[in-house]
Amino acid sequence: MAHVRLNNLSKSYGKVDVIKDVSLDIKDGEFVVLIGPSGCGKSTLLRMIAGLESITSGTLQIGGAPMNDVPPRDRGISMVFQSYALYPHMNSADNMSFSLKLAGEDEPQRRSKVDRAADILGLGPYLDRLPKQLSGGQRQRVAMGRAIVRKPEVFLFDEPLSNLDAKLRVKMRAELKELHQKLKTTTIYVTHDQVEAMTLADRIVVLRDGEIEQIGTPLELYDNPANAFVGAFLGSPTMNLLDLEVSAENPSEARFSDGEALRLAAPAAPGRATVGIRPECFALQSEAGSGALRAEVVVVEPTGASTELVVRKAGQNITVLSHERLAINPGDSVWLVPNAERVHAFPDGAAA
Amino acid sequence: MTHASDTHQPLATPQRRFALTDGQVAVIRHLILMSFALVVLFPFFWIVSAAFKTQIDLLMGRILFEPNLDGFTKVIFDKTSDFLRNFGNSMVIGAISTFLVLVIATLAAFSLYRLQWPGWVLHSLLGWSVIFHMVPPITLAGAWYSMFRSVGLDNTYSGIILAHTTLHLPMALWMMGVFVRDVPKELVEAAQIDGAKVPHILWHVVLPIVRPGLAATGILTFIFSWNEFPVVLVLSQRQTATVPLGIGKYAQENTIAFTEMAAASTLSILPAFLLLLFAQRFIVRGLTSGAVK
Repeated sequence: MAHVRLNNLSKSYGKVDVIKDVSLDIKDGEFVVLIGPSGCGKSTLLRMIAGLESITSGTLQIGGAPMNDVPPRDRGISMVFQSYALYPHMNSADNMSFSLKLAGEDEPQRRSKVDRAADILGLGPYLDRLPKQLSGGQRQRVAMGRAIVRKPEVFLFDEPLSNLDAKLRVKMRAELKELHQKLKTTTIYVTHDQVEAMTLADRIVVLRDGEIEQIGTPLELYDNPANAFVGAFLGSPTMNLLDLEVSAENPSEARFSDGEALRLAAPAAPGRATVGIRPECFALQSEAGSGALRAEVVVVEPTGASTELVVRKAGQNITVLSHERLAINPGDSVWLVPNAERVHAFPDGAAA
Repeated sequence: MTHASDTHQPLATPQRRFALTDGQVAVIRHLILMSFALVVLFPFFWIVSAAFKTQIDLLMGRILFEPNLDGFTKVIFDKTSDFLRNFGNSMVIGAISTFLVLVIATLAAFSLYRLQWPGWVLHSLLGWSVIFHMVPPITLAGAWYSMFRSVGLDNTYSGIILAHTTLHLPMALWMMGVFVRDVPKELVEAAQIDGAKVPHILWHVVLPIVRPGLAATGILTFIFSWNEFPVVLVLSQRQTATVPLGIGKYAQENTIAFTEMAAASTLSILPAFLLLLFAQRFIVRGLTSGAVK
């Protein structure tokens, strides 16, 4: 096991900068998720750590040793690919033991390591099958098995669950988490799925256009996003981003165009502001009260466990999530009481 | 087709005035296919049947005849016939040059497509190989003859093998290029991470996957070498002559030994035919299924 340190890593293809000056410290045994929209450079960054892409500038350290010019095989890493990349002509056992064979380990040793990995992953009955005889989930497990048997210092995952159907994805996600709790190997995991990031990560790194937007634990990022992009990227239903006005006299309030005001968690710079508030951070009342904002119900979507409302306030739509059964219809008026501690004003222009 | 007509809905497709029924379409289609088959198979049939005729039957143009093996006997057992030797020469030259072509083409294709050469290297090499392939071999034969003569390679197996390897390398490079590119990049990367160096990747990952490609390319290369005429004509003499030259020898200044020629031609088909039968099981598609996704 090892810590991974990225010092001002950059990558350019000709004049195009894909990764711009990324610095990141990953602790021993930590599970870090790189997340961002497609094209943000998260896979490139992972491949740079793996040694499959060259590093244009900056230094990469794994376990304290500089790795910039070390070939992938000597970096002490294993990688699970999005496409699994199983060797099609080898059965599951051979797929998993290929690296051991290359390392010159003898047959009984390989056998026992493969058996142990197969035990962990429940692959016992499938060891002599070819990849084409396996289902998607089983292939995924073989790919993980191949990564495990090497006992790497660092696991790298490149969107490993995105080729699975929704149900299997949830199951494999839980298995992955369990696996990490068992093995406690440093893990770097790339995904574009915010639920995977929230559920798996010790820390999440949000990337956009090759730069780090924010680093933090899932709940830190969820509760205190550094900007509107991070706020909108994490969480479903997505964070409400409202276009409001902050006055110089009262910087801890943001006003709708109809004059009603929303209290902010912290004072903001005067002028137009993007104000973010999560859908579950409202209480609903059926009549006016202090601090309550009047809005008109547009859509009611009950899902059983909760009800999602879209309401209109001064020309802007706001999504509200309530865990109560609401007797409410489109066209009705409701009063929203926002939880002021969860209302963030973002510097303008950073919206996704 | 018949299935489509079962679910045919008259309202959905407007009636054409001269519409053909599916049956008529099938008849026309089969007539066209049969005429193609005829064009391909008739000369073959003609040669094979000629091999079993006597010279007289053949020259009289008799369609019905009593088959005899005189042509074959002469070609194989006659003391003046070189055919068995030609056959052996063709086998040796074809096998060795095919082996060399496959080794070089596979290594080159892997290197060009998977080892991240700058674009101009890839394109200039491939471009050069196309141009070389388009040059008629006879234009090279003269130059090769004088070159080989000066280094003592004329009328040797090595010389002809070298020439055939050179001639057929571009085609093999292009074919193997296609098959090597079909090997998913991730497999090579996975192998790199698993600790494989380039020779391991080639041997343990790429080669097993491109095996059908090797079979297909190998068969074609062997057949090309087997059939190649102008270059061996220039480079070889009696000891190293190959089958096409041997067949050509039956056309002498004064007489043409048609039946021997036909018998020799018929025999010359056999290796390629057997090779195809044998290698067919390697030429299966979808060997990479299950590798990615």
